[in-house]
Amino acid sequence: MKILALHPEKCTGCLRCELACSYMQTGTYQPAKSVIRVSPFEGYTSYAPYTCTQCAEGWCMTACPVGAIQISAVGAKDVLDDKCVGCKLCTIACPYGTMFFDAERYKAYKCNLCGGAPACVDACPTQAITFEDVPSRDWIGDYAAERSVHVLAREVA
Amino acid sequence: MPPRHLVIGGGTAGLNAIRTIREEDGGSSEITLVSAERPYSRMVLPYYLGDSIAESHVFTATPASLAAWKVKTLIGRKAAKLDPAARTLTLDDGSTVEYDDCLIATGSRAARAPVPGADGPGVHSFWTLDEARRVIADVSRGSRVVMVGAGFISFTILNAILARGARLTIVEVAPRILPRMVDDTCAGIVDAWLRRHGVAIRAGATITKIEEQKGTRKLLFKKGEPLVADAVIMATGIRTNLEWLQGSGIEMAQDGQGGILVDDHLRTNVPNVYAAGDVARGRNLVTGAPEVHAIEPTAQEHGRVVGANMAGRDVVYRGSLLMNIVEVCHLDVASFGQWDDTGAEAFTGSRPARSQYRKLLFRGGRLTGAMICGPSSDIWTTNDVGILKGLVQTGVDLSTWKRHLAADPFDVKPAFMATRTTAVLLPITVLERPSQSPSLPQSVATR
Repeated sequence: MKILALHPEKCTGCLRCELACSYMQTGTYQPAKSVIRVSPFEGYTSYAPYTCTQCAEGWCMTACPVGAIQISAVGAKDVLDDKCVGCKLCTIACPYGTMFFDAERYKAYKCNLCGGAPACVDACPTQAITFEDVPSRDWIGDYAAERSVHVLAREVA
Repeated sequence: MPPRHLVIGGGTAGLNAIRTIREEDGGSSEITLVSAERPYSRMVLPYYLGDSIAESHVFTATPASLAAWKVKTLIGRKAAKLDPAARTLTLDDGSTVEYDDCLIATGSRAARAPVPGADGPGVHSFWTLDEARRVIADVSRGSRVVMVGAGFISFTILNAILARGARLTIVEVAPRILPRMVDDTCAGIVDAWLRRHGVAIRAGATITKIEEQKGTRKLLFKKGEPLVADAVIMATGIRTNLEWLQGSGIEMAQDGQGGILVDDHLRTNVPNVYAAGDVARGRNLVTGAPEVHAIEPTAQEHGRVVGANMAGRDVVYRGSLLMNIVEVCHLDVASFGQWDDTGAEAFTGSRPARSQYRKLLFRGGRLTGAMICGPSSDIWTTNDVGILKGLVQTGVDLSTWKRHLAADPFDVKPAFMATRTTAVLLPITVLERPSQSPSLPQSVATR
């Protein structure tokens, strides 16, 4: 299946992905409602996007007590609004921190790959996010590790 | 002859086992479900109580869906006696069911504090669907409701009681609220938040008697003024439903209250008999110790592992992570793992003005427990809830990050990313294969 591949070395921190995502997911241009999130590193000089890996276990899906999270036609774990009661069990079950909760609608939500045409991919001007048929992997770990050395060294000193 | 699986109990563990058997075998075996009640999710009863969903929404299976899953159902029947030598279960109507293997998933029930009047009219438990219906009938706009017990169960229905327009007082025998879910500091933040939202709290209060007075209840205390209530809800703990297994030869701890002893495949000491959910003394993921985790995620994982093993797979259960989340009046409160470990190294951070609190508990370089509290409107609260779960679940080495996290327990995301926790998590699956959608597998439908 096609997933979101993240290439942090290309990310400029422009947040266009967050705007596009929030509009696609909730109809409003609010980075706070985006399910892809850009993290800053090294004093806001480098950035990395982070979102759901569509992991094989689907911790959110297996935790849902009412079967409100299902695998969509494009293979994404997707929240069915009419079934979600807002119990938040998915938010503690997901070990990646990529479940979100819309307090106004009282529904959980997450990356559903926009039904196969991810808005973040379209919005990214530098191809830091691509939609590819590759296995999920830890796109951010090495990048984050390298860019944290400075922070940690300062604290130890 | 196809194998005959028997599932005793139609709760979360039982239903997850059934679905997993069908995912594995596509419908080739016989499954019989014995359940005292029609299957529903206890987790969503509070939303039914709060009128945000219809009663039909609570059911996890219908006669039609169970038929589609090729499950023979004995609903409304209780298990009365297990004869492992004869591989026979006797039901409360005297009939018997033969099995090749069976799952004990009879769950638990609400227990009321041993107080005179606790079983009187207008005094409720909130655990089963029937109990939920009785509370709904008894609590309406302006009702004076006293909830006895300030633990997780009582907090899950707090919003719903308020949504019904009732006036709520919470009474707790311990000196503070949430004594088994969060620490003193966090409880203080939640307590202040609730009082600001119009909930009365009386902690350190021992009830001596509940009197019935012309349709209202009067609660008397060891110290302090009595309370008058239209409805009393007792959320004072649970008991396992295991009495029926006395004499069966199934090994249990503390006469059953400590659960059924199980091995790493969730097998009991008796061949071909498994246990799952609230009745199983399963492995704690963090400590490795056997204990009962009477929580939804444990019942789900237990049920799935047993279902796979009943279907002939060889799945070892890694253990369950103790975790709870509850939202009260738009404040999220969650705890993970060994959050009350007094021997751990603990780092805390609080922003009282914003009702935010974090606690990180370390054993060496490993995060073994965590606590988090903050307004639901804070996005970081929701995301960090998951990140803390991932760190505790994987036990990644955070040695180089401890100093940073001690200085700022709120800044967990960089530590999560830089320790490559995602890479540790991605290969992990409970059943050693990708999970399936909760809908009916095509293989069963077309068989």
